[in-house]
Amino acid sequence: MTQLVWNGLFVGSFYALVALGYSMVYGIIKLLNFAHGDLYMLGAFAGFAILGAVGGVSASMALPVLLMVLVATMLLTGLAGVALERIAYRPLRGAPRLSLLITAVGASFALEYGMRAAAGADPRVYPVRLGGTSLEVLGARLTLQQLVLVGVAVALMVGLNTLITRTREGRAMRAIALDPRTSSLMGVDVNAVISRTFFLGSALAGAAGVMAGAYYGKIDFLMGFLIGLKAFTAAVIGGIGNIPGTMLGGLLLGLLESFGTFWLGGEWRDVFAFGVLILFLTVRPTGLLGERVTERV
Amino acid sequence: MRAIPLKSLTPLVLLGLLTAGCGQGLLGGDDQAPKGNGPILLGMLIPQSGSEAAIGPYMSNAAQLAIDEINAKGGVLGRKLELKTADDACDAQSAVAGANKLVTEGVNVSVGGYCSGATLPTLPIFGKANIPMIIPAANSQELVDQKLKHVFLINGTGSQQAAAADKWMTKEGAKSVVLVHDNTSYSKDIALRTKALLDAPGGADAVLVETVTPKESDYSANVTNILAKKPDYVYWTGYFQEGGLIVRQLRQAGYKGHILLGDGSVSPKFIEIAGNDAAEGVYATMTQTPDTLEGAENWIASYKKKFGTDPGPYSNQAYDAVRLAAEAIGKAGGTDGTKVVAALEGIDGFPMFSGPLKFTPEHTLSNGGFQILVVKGGKFALQDSLK
Repeated sequence: MTQLVWNGLFVGSFYALVALGYSMVYGIIKLLNFAHGDLYMLGAFAGFAILGAVGGVSASMALPVLLMVLVATMLLTGLAGVALERIAYRPLRGAPRLSLLITAVGASFALEYGMRAAAGADPRVYPVRLGGTSLEVLGARLTLQQLVLVGVAVALMVGLNTLITRTREGRAMRAIALDPRTSSLMGVDVNAVISRTFFLGSALAGAAGVMAGAYYGKIDFLMGFLIGLKAFTAAVIGGIGNIPGTMLGGLLLGLLESFGTFWLGGEWRDVFAFGVLILFLTVRPTGLLGERVTERV
Repeated sequence: MRAIPLKSLTPLVLLGLLTAGCGQGLLGGDDQAPKGNGPILLGMLIPQSGSEAAIGPYMSNAAQLAIDEINAKGGVLGRKLELKTADDACDAQSAVAGANKLVTEGVNVSVGGYCSGATLPTLPIFGKANIPMIIPAANSQELVDQKLKHVFLINGTGSQQAAAADKWMTKEGAKSVVLVHDNTSYSKDIALRTKALLDAPGGADAVLVETVTPKESDYSANVTNILAKKPDYVYWTGYFQEGGLIVRQLRQAGYKGHILLGDGSVSPKFIEIAGNDAAEGVYATMTQTPDTLEGAENWIASYKKKFGTDPGPYSNQAYDAVRLAAEAIGKAGGTDGTKVVAALEGIDGFPMFSGPLKFTPEHTLSNGGFQILVVKGGKFALQDSLK
């Protein structure tokens, strides 16, 4: 039982990290950035390239080196996200919502198959891996490395939340989410804030990509597709646009999958998880913590 | 409002019609001319994109190697062979599109097919065009269940592989076995056939059939389910990408029992993904590979010389498929589909990597040739030939 909870929380923290970027972008410019999962893939490959450039790393140094790689990768994927917004989304800011959505799908394919052209179709394996011996806690088997990864994920999420609720930058983001036009009249540089939002969201996805690469080991150019869908589900469950809600949604989705597999068997896991998505969309489309949208007359 | 986008589409549609017409016209001309001395075209559907994209080059390179060797000896009936490849992306829709492309290009024999799920919908397409199919890798029983005249499998079938798995686990004295598959046609087929064999009285019992979702990274939920049954054998029948992760996660979760893999997981990448420690001692049911064949060193060397990499999974079957196609066309005295099929049915003792070839009435190998490999020192090596 505790094993199921731990499995769910571990997977859920990955979902939550990726879902945050979805949610932030949606909250601010109402765009479902379908290329977001591919930024996760980009992060995994960037981390792989950096580790390759660093060269051989002894096992005892694995964690500190990986943390440095994590920071460098977050910078890189953050900038990639900014570039994506500048090239693919900003020219379409005033266009109908559907054009933006289709552009996002196109950007997703461009990233996937661009990476395939650059790195090949063969899956790659991280040179430094977090294996580690497992320890028993309350009947659940977990490793120190898993704890560190969850710790990093939680720290990133708490940091993001503080940034959004307590700083000027965060206030500008929330203002734009409420009303972009009025914000710009009040002197907020809308384009710059949107760029920074993309930077933050993409950096978090990149962090999740490196962590997944280091823990699971295998990366390939299609790895972002499924997690992109899952992150979207998590964001909807928690309340898309709402930061704490999205984190909660990620963890909840991880738990749902873990228990769904246990109760119904592996073949029903995704049916269960996406069934919950449909349920939420019909019964409570604003998600767990999403705010009620009042109809403006 | 609505009329505008439609109108703007019309030139596009017209253009499409025109080019389609052109294509047909050109090909029509092609068809007439080479009857006597143009090249004989061999079509090959393989995954070049998507999750199994890594396999494609192993097969097309080996096929090209066979073609070059045959052409160097003067070709078949005085005509050169030429390879036409198309992408099936291991996906039914892409495979159908690819098969149609090959048919319009006028291929004479199909020598492709890796993913069973993608190969299945292409059978009627090649069938209608009277093109014989020699399928090198795809091996689901469903491919031959329809008893189609033009379909030949030169890889062991799912039931032969299941029989080998059952034989090995019984020999090893396994008591409780968990079967894990990824819900694709090929993988599920082997898992369920193995379960049926294990369920027969005596010997090992199948205690759980676990299904995983392909292309995920985290299989901890499945691993927890498997461990709860306390098995002494786990048989994974899917492909190597998930296989590597599942084996690694099983070992990390403290599973100490044996692990057996299906042939889709036999790849150096499997060991890389699982890590040397986790992969060590893992068994696999597999048909002959270049590594386990005696006298294949020369072949491996010439492959390496030409392409700069080692041959991989299904390289040898793809190579044999081309040689077999050439043999059958030679015997038939031409590329007429019906005659080539008759020639294939009549083949007896043609030397291939899997041994002398003779097809069963079902058009499968009379002997699957499955053997047991084991991972030793970071490589797959022969453990037991199950003879």
